[in-house]
Amino acid sequence: MSPRTRKILEFLLNNLVWLMLVVVLALFSALIPNYFQLGIFANIIEASSVLGVMSIGLAIVIITGHMDLSVESVAALSAMAVSILFCSAGIGLGYKLSPEWLMVPVSLAVACAIGALIGFLNGVLVVKLKMSAFIITLASFIWVRGLVLAVSGGRSAQDLAPAIRWFAVERLFGIPLSAWIAIACFLIFSIMMTKTPFGRHLIMIGGNETAAFRAGIPVKRNLIIAFIMAGAIAGLAGWLLSVRTSGATANLGVGLLFNAFAAVVIGGVSLKGGVGALPGVYAGVLLLSAINTAINLMGLPATYTQVIHGLLVLAAVLLDTFKQRLHQRLA
Amino acid sequence: MSEKLLVLDNIRMSFGAIEALKGISFSIGKGEVVALLGDNGAGKSTLVKIISGGQKATSGRMIFEGQEYQANTPAEAKAAGIETVYQDLSLCTNVDVVGNFFMGREITRKIAGIPFLDERAMEEITGKALANAGTRIPSLRGKVEHLSGGQRQAIELNRFVHWGGKLILLDEPFAALGVEQTRRGLEMIRHVANQGIGVVIITHIMQQAFQVADRIVVIRQGVVAGDVECSKTNADAVIGMITGQTLAGAGAASN
Repeated sequence: MSPRTRKILEFLLNNLVWLMLVVVLALFSALIPNYFQLGIFANIIEASSVLGVMSIGLAIVIITGHMDLSVESVAALSAMAVSILFCSAGIGLGYKLSPEWLMVPVSLAVACAIGALIGFLNGVLVVKLKMSAFIITLASFIWVRGLVLAVSGGRSAQDLAPAIRWFAVERLFGIPLSAWIAIACFLIFSIMMTKTPFGRHLIMIGGNETAAFRAGIPVKRNLIIAFIMAGAIAGLAGWLLSVRTSGATANLGVGLLFNAFAAVVIGGVSLKGGVGALPGVYAGVLLLSAINTAINLMGLPATYTQVIHGLLVLAAVLLDTFKQRLHQRLA
Repeated sequence: MSEKLLVLDNIRMSFGAIEALKGISFSIGKGEVVALLGDNGAGKSTLVKIISGGQKATSGRMIFEGQEYQANTPAEAKAAGIETVYQDLSLCTNVDVVGNFFMGREITRKIAGIPFLDERAMEEITGKALANAGTRIPSLRGKVEHLSGGQRQAIELNRFVHWGGKLILLDEPFAALGVEQTRRGLEMIRHVANQGIGVVIITHIMQQAFQVADRIVVIRQGVVAGDVECSKTNADAVIGMITGQTLAGAGAASN
């Protein structure tokens, strides 16, 4: 095999999920009537904003070789906190700030701070007390959701303050600002992971924690920061969720965790840690969203989405193994 | 003998009821190559970990460049100028060659106060360092997982030669190397020692020890069983010290 074909093959393997996305979009456009419209594509991007943001945090923690199952509940708690503070109906307290735009940074800060706090707790328990991240964050997944139920009393808040709601309404190039926030997050955190020493160190920790420690990288500190980031990003996802739905219900976002997982795995992030990149994760999110939209358009019962997502995850894992074998053969 | 670089004074290490090191004392001079020999489980690797900040000694003192020294983390040991090449390789195979070469001390450029990796500068330095050492690696941007065991070990060795420092600890550095690469590795060790850097090398191969070391320190069952200059002993005497057949025989012990 010539070096050039090898390079091309490797490039395709590394960006397989984008290829899949293009193929799927092309197939759907050809086969499903009314699929090929700008509005549909904008809708795919919009529908993937919350899941996308949440997947970033999850992916970062998985790349460092750990796990954060709590992101879904954290997002729900942040959404509930923002909604209780700034919704005017239901259990909303309807706080007003003047000038009105001040509510945007305040609500964002509240959402991210809640997430960061829970992330910090997860991180300290996992890193300092050396407990299994799977168990610790599973516990957080449960108790944080419990907290959502407790503070809401099972009821919901509606009518989010228009100043915050603005982000879901206002559009730039046909795409709502909330979706642009997700895209911006992918850009920023992709740059962080690939271009800064901090991101590089996280990838190294995921690859070989001992080697990173021996090289003088502050492994524990970096891991805790990764958990804090995952929490804060989940908080941002929660903020987006409350903006999109203009409020919050006690069971808001249930099931998002598994979709986030699917997106991360489909996006090429290895659950063993150390492997994966955020742009791929975004492609994974878009792929899920594209399939959901197709199911809706075809009028299939929405119950099938779960089956298809599950099969997709299976396919992704199979592809990953296949890819690794090919890689070895190429090497 | 040259100036003392590192002095170990009665280092003890216990794991629960097991005493791995029972009072180790010896010293390393500047520009001196000390071969640390001993049977499996004699405590050599434990000793290396204590010096390099991977583990904390139960008791004892270390004096590095005339000052009390104690490393709580590998980062502290590195800051003091002590580099370590471990038996099990310390490479992140999921990262490329350049990334591994600069692991933990990346060159950065600040843009708006945020440090960004300066990949081009790092690639240039890595390429030069590897070329100088005669190591041939197909692509500096290829992930280390695609490299052979020998190439990986060569990267580690070149890394320590490049970063230098004041003292280098090598824990069986040639385990995966071929004949030619080993020869070059031994040359590298002499080369860094000539620059005044102290070197401690753990090895099982007697021939290597005699080839490269100035002095041989034998550890047996957690104590120093022999501390002799290479020129004043021979392989048989050293083997005797390792297995415990002779104790003195080959020159003065540490005390």
